[in-house]
Amino acid sequence: MTQALARRRARRGTATALAIAALSLSVAACGGNLSGGGGDFPNGPVTLVVGQDPGGSTDLIGRALAEVASDDLGVPMPVVNTPGANGALAANELAGREPNGQHIMVINASLIAITPLAVSEEEAVDINDYEVVTGISQDDYVLVSASDSGLSSLDDLTASTEEIQYGTTGVGTGSQLSQELLFAQAGIEGTAVPFNGGSPALTAVLGGQVDVASIQLGEAIAQIEAGELTPLVTFAAERNQYLPDVPTAVEAGHDVQVSQFRAIVAPGGTPEATVDRLRQAFETAFASEQYQTFNEENLLTPHEVDGAQVVEEWTAALESYRATIDEYGIDLGEAS
Amino acid sequence: MDSLAPMLDGFGVVLEPTNLVYCLIGVVIGMLVGVLPGLGPAATIAILLPLTFGIEPVTAIIMLAGIFYGAQYGGTITSVLLRLPGEASTVVTVFDGNALARQGRAGTALGVAAIGSFIGGTVSIVALSVLAPVVAGFALDFGPPEYTALALLGILLVATVSNGGRVKALVAACLGLLLATVGRDTFTGAERFTFDSLALADGIDFVPIAMGVFGLGEILYNLEERRRAAAPAKVADVWPSRKDLRQSAGAIGRGSVLGFFLGILPGGGAVLSSLAAYALEKRRSKTPERFGKGAIEGVAAPESANNAASTSSFIPLLTLGIPANATMAMIFGALLIQGVTPGPQLVSEDPELFWGVVNSMYIGNILLLIMSIPLVGLFVKILQVPASILAPITVLITLVGVFTIRNSAFDIALVIVFGLVGYLMKKYGFDPGPLVLAFVLGSLLETSLRQSLLLFGGDVTGFATRPISGTLLALLAAVILVPVVRGLLRSRRREPERVAERTDA
Repeated sequence: MTQALARRRARRGTATALAIAALSLSVAACGGNLSGGGGDFPNGPVTLVVGQDPGGSTDLIGRALAEVASDDLGVPMPVVNTPGANGALAANELAGREPNGQHIMVINASLIAITPLAVSEEEAVDINDYEVVTGISQDDYVLVSASDSGLSSLDDLTASTEEIQYGTTGVGTGSQLSQELLFAQAGIEGTAVPFNGGSPALTAVLGGQVDVASIQLGEAIAQIEAGELTPLVTFAAERNQYLPDVPTAVEAGHDVQVSQFRAIVAPGGTPEATVDRLRQAFETAFASEQYQTFNEENLLTPHEVDGAQVVEEWTAALESYRATIDEYGIDLGEAS
Repeated sequence: MDSLAPMLDGFGVVLEPTNLVYCLIGVVIGMLVGVLPGLGPAATIAILLPLTFGIEPVTAIIMLAGIFYGAQYGGTITSVLLRLPGEASTVVTVFDGNALARQGRAGTALGVAAIGSFIGGTVSIVALSVLAPVVAGFALDFGPPEYTALALLGILLVATVSNGGRVKALVAACLGLLLATVGRDTFTGAERFTFDSLALADGIDFVPIAMGVFGLGEILYNLEERRRAAAPAKVADVWPSRKDLRQSAGAIGRGSVLGFFLGILPGGGAVLSSLAAYALEKRRSKTPERFGKGAIEGVAAPESANNAASTSSFIPLLTLGIPANATMAMIFGALLIQGVTPGPQLVSEDPELFWGVVNSMYIGNILLLIMSIPLVGLFVKILQVPASILAPITVLITLVGVFTIRNSAFDIALVIVFGLVGYLMKKYGFDPGPLVLAFVLGSLLETSLRQSLLLFGGDVTGFATRPISGTLLALLAAVILVPVVRGLLRSRRREPERVAERTDA
């Protein structure tokens, strides 16, 4: 029974690999530099799975990295989007794959450290099921209000006599958690209104449908620079390098540290030599000028730490968030 | 007018040979992608994104935009010929477009659709050039309550556009609404009808449902009718006659205007515009019974509307920095990679890019019209292929297309299940149109309604006191009440007559 399952999985794997090989041949039109050198990794294209739709920030980061890393590995690195359940679908699929490094994934910290607080236990993704290749970068959340709303600082929110309506980018996201934590600690009365992603939430703030929203910086910067949105606070430990004048929630005395971190993971049990080879490829990508320019243009702060540190940081974040929401009686989702 | 100079410079940008070539490449790819069911413009742009790294931003975006509106032209072809609507906005076209194809008038339908698309697109570009900054705010005025009212109006229209029995249409629509509830609750994270499957966590995608109930269901049903399978539909009247054009002129004009305005709304604008344009024509028509049986206005109106809407959906992106749909999100991403952040300052900081892209759409639409005309003759020949060959190929393309959307084998199983549903519906006289449209509008309605209630603190009177949602709800009430009141008046007027008759007798 298990054998049959394994065989079927292997067969499906081959079919997918074939499809992907065909795709990458037509897409990358890559020269025939297929000799991998020592060892049997990489043995053919390395698929980089993205658990989000094409066009989002996770997808763009994956594509920017794959561009350089595939040159270093000498094999094509097609980016395959398998969106579903905030990336949990892709992560579960990856965990079931053969641990040979031919399939890797860009994973979001929110899936590991925040979503488990909102969904049932069986659906939570555990970082220990994966080998972490490397950390990638940090994408900060910023709390914004419309410039004509009269809310221009955190104090304005605290002083408001009316209930604040705040938009989130969905249940179990950093956007929801950051605001829940801030509002609970600062004693601000508020109602959360979930939207389906950053851009509808942004639209709602601009249109005055909600008072504030916590949005990833890259999605809101154009409106901030145009003076249509006012950044109130950012949610990282330190001030964001791209918004040096905006205070952090920590400075205001609240224990709120929520950022979107990302990392590259391989299925659990991938040989160490393979993980090392992959890390080397991504380090080449990190060092490339092309990728560094990409980071600057997308307002991403590099956080290229090693796998062990990623596991440590993300696990610690999950525990600390769990403790804080228990303390303040915050409920992110009814299914948790 | 100081805005005129950069606009004219924009034409200079477009007419550079490189840009013209990329515009052509874009629209050709777009048209092909539109013809292939499943593979949508968003996925295509994702695949082609690396190719744009090396070229100028304006050239890249001209090509990507071409893919987007080119796909709108291509999508019509499969809707009309094979009953395979690739996008929600072409579902309505299936009703009359496919009926025309069955009567051997596929060429007429495709010709009118191409002309309507061209006019809709062009009207929308002109309007975009002149009105973009003015109407951009319109997208912001639409909050959850307004979307709620719009979705309600849309669902009501679904019932009026369908053919066959009103009750059967309602049953199908309810099934569609029920299907829209599948997936993780976006407000609480609770699982609804997902059977613990992560593949269902985000709900069901539109494409497997539409491909299944329309395309696959139709093919399965035709297997029963052996005689039809033996004789392929004959193809006559490749070109629309002057009478057809005269008949569709009004529909194209109204569809274009409606499409332009509804297209500005992020989320659902294109679907609603094609639906509203169709419903408007049916209501205005002196012979509404022709609709669904091959009325040319039934193709002209939604096709003009969805093309106008696809053009005006650039407005929120280029003037506010808000991507209105998945494809716009891809183009947003492509711009970011090019070092251009789309936002309120784009027009003033990068006029060359803004006007270059806008003006390239004139050229692109002309290219598409020129390409469409000879291609119509070619595409209608597809219908001459015997069903025994055409059907398996269609099924194969459908399954591959559905797989490519999320790279998910689960979606292939879904399309087969919905194929069976479509077959059964057809067999028992249910129109699949209301199911698919109610499905699309159902999730919009649920999300906006719940967001509105959160915003109002549970107070439903909020809907009536906001100007736009209030107006829409009044319109909704009128659409429901006018026929009822008219019916009552008529019966009351008849009653005395009847009484008189009786006394006479």
